[in-house]
Amino acid sequence: MSRREGSLAPQADSSVSLLPHLEAKIRQTHSLAHLLTKYAEQLLQEYVQLQGDPFGLPGFSPPRLPVAGLSAPAPSHAGLPVHERLRLDAAALAALPPLLDAVRRRQAELNPRAPRLLRRLEDAARQARALGAAVEALLAALGAANRGPRAEPPAAAAAATSASAASGVFPAKVLGLRVCGLYREWLSRTEGDLGQLLPGGPA
Amino acid sequence: MPAGRRGPAAQSARRPPPLLPLLLLCVLGAPRAGSGAHTAVISPQDPTLLIGSSLQATCSVHGDPPGATAEGLYWTLNGRRLPPELSRVLNTSTLALALANLNGSRQQSGDNLVCHARDGSILAGSCLYVGLPPEKPFNISCWSKNMKDLTCRWTPGAHGETFLHTNYSLKYKLRWYGQDNTCEEYHTVGPHSCHIPKDLALFTPYEIWVEATNRLGSARSDVLTLDILDVVTTDPPPDVHVSRVGGLEDQLSVRWVSPPALKDFLFQAKYQIRYRVEDSVDWKVVDDVSNQTSCRLAGLKPGTVYFVQVRCNPFGIYGSKKAGIWSEWSHPTAASTPRSERPGPGGGACEPRGGEPSSGPVRRELKQFLGWLKKHAYCSNLSFRLYDQWRAWMQKSHKTRNQVGRRDPSPSPLPTGPAR
Repeated sequence: MSRREGSLAPQADSSVSLLPHLEAKIRQTHSLAHLLTKYAEQLLQEYVQLQGDPFGLPGFSPPRLPVAGLSAPAPSHAGLPVHERLRLDAAALAALPPLLDAVRRRQAELNPRAPRLLRRLEDAARQARALGAAVEALLAALGAANRGPRAEPPAAAAAATSASAASGVFPAKVLGLRVCGLYREWLSRTEGDLGQLLPGGPA
Repeated sequence: MPAGRRGPAAQSARRPPPLLPLLLLCVLGAPRAGSGAHTAVISPQDPTLLIGSSLQATCSVHGDPPGATAEGLYWTLNGRRLPPELSRVLNTSTLALALANLNGSRQQSGDNLVCHARDGSILAGSCLYVGLPPEKPFNISCWSKNMKDLTCRWTPGAHGETFLHTNYSLKYKLRWYGQDNTCEEYHTVGPHSCHIPKDLALFTPYEIWVEATNRLGSARSDVLTLDILDVVTTDPPPDVHVSRVGGLEDQLSVRWVSPPALKDFLFQAKYQIRYRVEDSVDWKVVDDVSNQTSCRLAGLKPGTVYFVQVRCNPFGIYGSKKAGIWSEWSHPTAASTPRSERPGPGGGACEPRGGEPSSGPVRRELKQFLGWLKKHAYCSNLSFRLYDQWRAWMQKSHKTRNQVGRRDPSPSPLPTGPAR
């Protein structure tokens, strides 16, 4: 592997070829992101169904307020260098598990007879961790790992836990919807960003 | 026993919210300074109510700039807009709602009551829990598999429909001493069941009851008192074999082994056999099979396939005087009675010989039977070829017996139904 400073887009310089195992790793991680995006869709559908109308109705649009420790991908995300995008993806994936755990705990009170939803939320937290670790490993292999201070998931987790437990039921339902929506958005974003690394992808 | 008690039909007790952490500031209901947007607060938040009761609620708007108006606000419940005549403006910033004769909640997470701005945007929400307190669970029954565990089942009161999540907890304790214990493995044999896997005492009675709790109250079943030894069941008898009794057209011999798990304990087993004709759903039961491991079924139809099952009741363990509990039935075992040797329709003379490709009605029926056995009896090796081999063997051994004369009417070693 040749370390390059600056841009991480190997396909931008056709003279640089990725090592086969690194290319395989990128493909593998991209496939994982693709699969998890599908699961995230299913999670969202199951979630809205169990909260009751109007959550599942077309046109239902609660305010998309930001969640502490995690925001939606910015409109400028697509314009960033791919290594920066992947760093943001990894950071978001690291912030998601405690939020998903908090949603699961609240849903365990609200929907105790919905084991499939609870299992999906538990799986989602685990899968977000796994994909985030895979993206970070790729960044390290590509020489673009984040060496600076990172967001602290434990603080976000504490906030998520206490807030989720204290808020009214309707706000908790809305918050859960927001978290599940962010989960889907970030997975989709990660899948797209990884796709840029695949040979033959756009520069 | 204390009767089931009903909790007050009032708003559920809520923990007082702490100072809003950062996350909650971002959740619906908090104002955004300087944004020009309005938010609101619904009162009461997340009330719990009895079916048929009424609810008075308010939606109070606040925001920036101040002086937000209640004009134009409206309510929805579970996504459906409520008629305007149910609402009235209390003051410039508060819209009231009056709902009467409430139905049970549509979902267990609560009915969604939402206050909307004129443009349809959501200002605030509250979840209603409308239902009934639980009624007394009843009809508790328990059994112990081989004295190692205890499984109990019960019926929820009022057929279980409270419209609210109702938690059922099976409790048990030794009658004369010991603390209350709570069963932990639920839904093992249905939605209202629990399994206690270990640490059970014998020769001393247990008290068992079920507590049902929801947001509107709780109820407790009557106490069931039992000794583990009085409610023992066991596995079905293994190794059930069904075979012909020589050439007797109307008899089959059934043999089995007593359940091994209880073989070291002093008990008298009772057995029951049931059998039916292949195409029938009506079982005949042979009841009078006590402490034996074989039985001969008689009065059967010749040339007919029968399915047979056996079950065991291990009564009298360690001197228990109670009846014991029947095991499950063993897997079905099949065998056929010999065809009648009298000439006539359906007689053996018309059957095609083994190996012939004829597709007469007998072979067609047999093909269906083999297909069914493969699917239901875990025996994947059955085939027409095997059946033809067996027929050839049968004819050969029948010729041999006819040559030397009939000696012993004991069942010939015929292939029986598929092994379990």
